[in-house]
Amino acid sequence: MWADTLLIVFISICTALLGEGLTWLMVYRTEKYQKLKAEVEKQSKKLEKRKETHGDSLDKQHKKKIEREEERLKNNNRDLSFVKMKSMFAIGFAFTALLSMFNSIFDGRVVARLPFQPLAWIQGLSHRNLPGEDYYDCSFIFLYILCTMSIRQNIQKLLGFAPSRAASKQGNSLFGPAPGQFK
Amino acid sequence: MSTKTKTIERNGVSKSSQASLWIRALTSNSEWPDKEEFLDVIYWARQALGIILGIFWGLLPLKGFLGLILFVVINAGVIYFYFSNFQNIDEDEYGGAWELTKEGFMTSFAGFLVMSLQCM
Repeated sequence: MWADTLLIVFISICTALLGEGLTWLMVYRTEKYQKLKAEVEKQSKKLEKRKETHGDSLDKQHKKKIEREEERLKNNNRDLSFVKMKSMFAIGFAFTALLSMFNSIFDGRVVARLPFQPLAWIQGLSHRNLPGEDYYDCSFIFLYILCTMSIRQNIQKLLGFAPSRAASKQGNSLFGPAPGQFK
Repeated sequence: MSTKTKTIERNGVSKSSQASLWIRALTSNSEWPDKEEFLDVIYWARQALGIILGIFWGLLPLKGFLGLILFVVINAGVIYFYFSNFQNIDEDEYGGAWELTKEGFMTSFAGFLVMSLQCM
């Protein structure tokens, strides 16, 4: 069981690195993406500052300016999402295939013992394809999701690919701040 | 030659700024002109805390919802103490105490669970 747990952590590190590597190849290194990202970050910061200084003022001119900038930011965010979309689909398909392969390898295998009994609505995930009624048993998919949640985001942050806070705060991107996080 | 010098200079600057970041993070009442830097410190501190608590909880072992609740309380408490008592920052500049308390929480929680599962 211990070896399985370690193996799953290793798998999720590899898939996170692979996912980021592929996204870098297809998206992050392109000039269009870099230009749009810089633009979105600049605008988000500018908008945040403007909102801080003029947020409570009832001046119509300021309000209009803020609205115009918000609109521009929304458009740029949409463009950024479209640039990402193509590669996201490709990576999504590849990773769904990988995930189903790992799922069949670990099918019916208890990969860890949970330190707590999960809530009823999580049990479907934490006990997926496992025999018996012992809900302390953990399935592959639950551990994989947990690992991905912690490892992928930290890798993104370490490599500098995570969206900036200002952009995710202001951003209404099509797929949210971290698309494909669990893939 | 000039490229080499430039690289060294650049590395020197990045190394010293990195060092100063560590010093500022570990010194009380530091100045944080860049908000993002301070939020990054909170984020990574929280990740480290999640991993350390996960190892402890796994080795003890501390099970059940009491373990989870204890983790949440300690994690939030330590970070709250760090920014309000140790660094004495103005919470409102960062959007309130809640924004700082939840910075990187879910990632830290996932890291904590993975580590406690490994060590149990």
